[in-house]
Amino acid sequence: MKSFLKTAFVLFAICAAAAAVLAAVNQVTSPAIAEYEAGVVMSALNEVSGGYTIGENHDVQGNPHVSYYYDLLDNVGSSAGYLLGLVTSGYGGEMTVVASYFADGTLMAAKLVSDSETPGLGKKAENPSYMNKFLGRGAEGNPIPKAKSELSAVDSAAVSGASMTFGGLSRALSAGSEFVKTTLAGEAVPQAKRGDGK
Amino acid sequence: MNTKELTKGIFRENPTFVIMLGMCPTLAVTTQVINAVSMGAGVLFVLLFSNIFISLLKNYIPGSVRIPCYVVVIASFVTIVEMVFHAYVPAVYKALGVYLPLIVVNCIILGRAEAFASKNGVLDSALDAIGMGIGFTLALTFIALIREVLGNGTITLMPIGSFSGVITIPVLSDWPVRTMTLAAGALLLMGYLKAFFNWKTERSAKKRLEASR
Repeated sequence: MKSFLKTAFVLFAICAAAAAVLAAVNQVTSPAIAEYEAGVVMSALNEVSGGYTIGENHDVQGNPHVSYYYDLLDNVGSSAGYLLGLVTSGYGGEMTVVASYFADGTLMAAKLVSDSETPGLGKKAENPSYMNKFLGRGAEGNPIPKAKSELSAVDSAAVSGASMTFGGLSRALSAGSEFVKTTLAGEAVPQAKRGDGK
Repeated sequence: MNTKELTKGIFRENPTFVIMLGMCPTLAVTTQVINAVSMGAGVLFVLLFSNIFISLLKNYIPGSVRIPCYVVVIASFVTIVEMVFHAYVPAVYKALGVYLPLIVVNCIILGRAEAFASKNGVLDSALDAIGMGIGFTLALTFIALIREVLGNGTITLMPIGSFSGVITIPVLSDWPVRTMTLAAGALLLMGYLKAFFNWKTERSAKKRLEASR
């Protein structure tokens, strides 16, 4: 009994000391991490906005892939499309994507913001050219490709070895397109919210 | 100071080329020199502090729970490295990806904790960690240098000021041997390097034997 208690105490003490040290390091590093992450998302949003003004942010509840969206406004304040924050999973776990769509669900631009994919394989999805295979698709009759068989030979070869990354991204981008077509289509941008973009 | 403990990990017992430990990160992150150096620095930090702490705590840790205790110590230092890289060198943190948290299960670290730090004093354990860490970093950098030069025609280092961090090698950058950047190229290179180190070790052993006769 005494040895059992000693073992439990040693394990507890080591874990408690480790937790305390990690809490202290987290306290120091978390502001810098948060600042970096916010910067990455902001820069990605600007990159995929297609030159339109980013309007107001709206949180989305209950959708497995779409977590938020922004209105995209043209220079006279009319709705030009939507900018969506998407969440999906790849080989290394969660991936977050930002993508812009026209009101008919056509993908304007997309960027992989965060992922833990394998370097040299799934990480290739971070290259801007990777998203070219999805661009201009998503409208009625021109769906976003969901399988390698729907891609050209060159694009199919480019995603080989990282099928789970491709699958995760295509699911998220398709879900985004569907969300724009079914939930946001026809929604007028409220006059009061126009012009409060970047 | 016992310099033998320090130098053995660099050449005679090099963790990559001689003991063949930590092969997963060796093959995975050696596509660019900067990734190899950063991974080596992370492993060196974790190895040094985990060896020191395990050596300090060796008399207090019951034998039946020594491995979970070592893993907690190692995982804590890996998490520290992860948070620091994420906060202050995000580009490197991004490039190392999943291999950074996987330092926890790097055989070199748990292997040195079990085989050395749990049986030796703090100073010797620290020297062992520094030697092994430097040996691992040098091996990774050497492999990455060959792979990146042949496979991409570049050498990627840390950007400083106006220097972008990328040195482009003429001819090779236009005609790269792409296989070298893939896992197959890494395995092929490891095979040749292992053969070279085996040949060197055998030749030294023969020379010692002849000298002793």
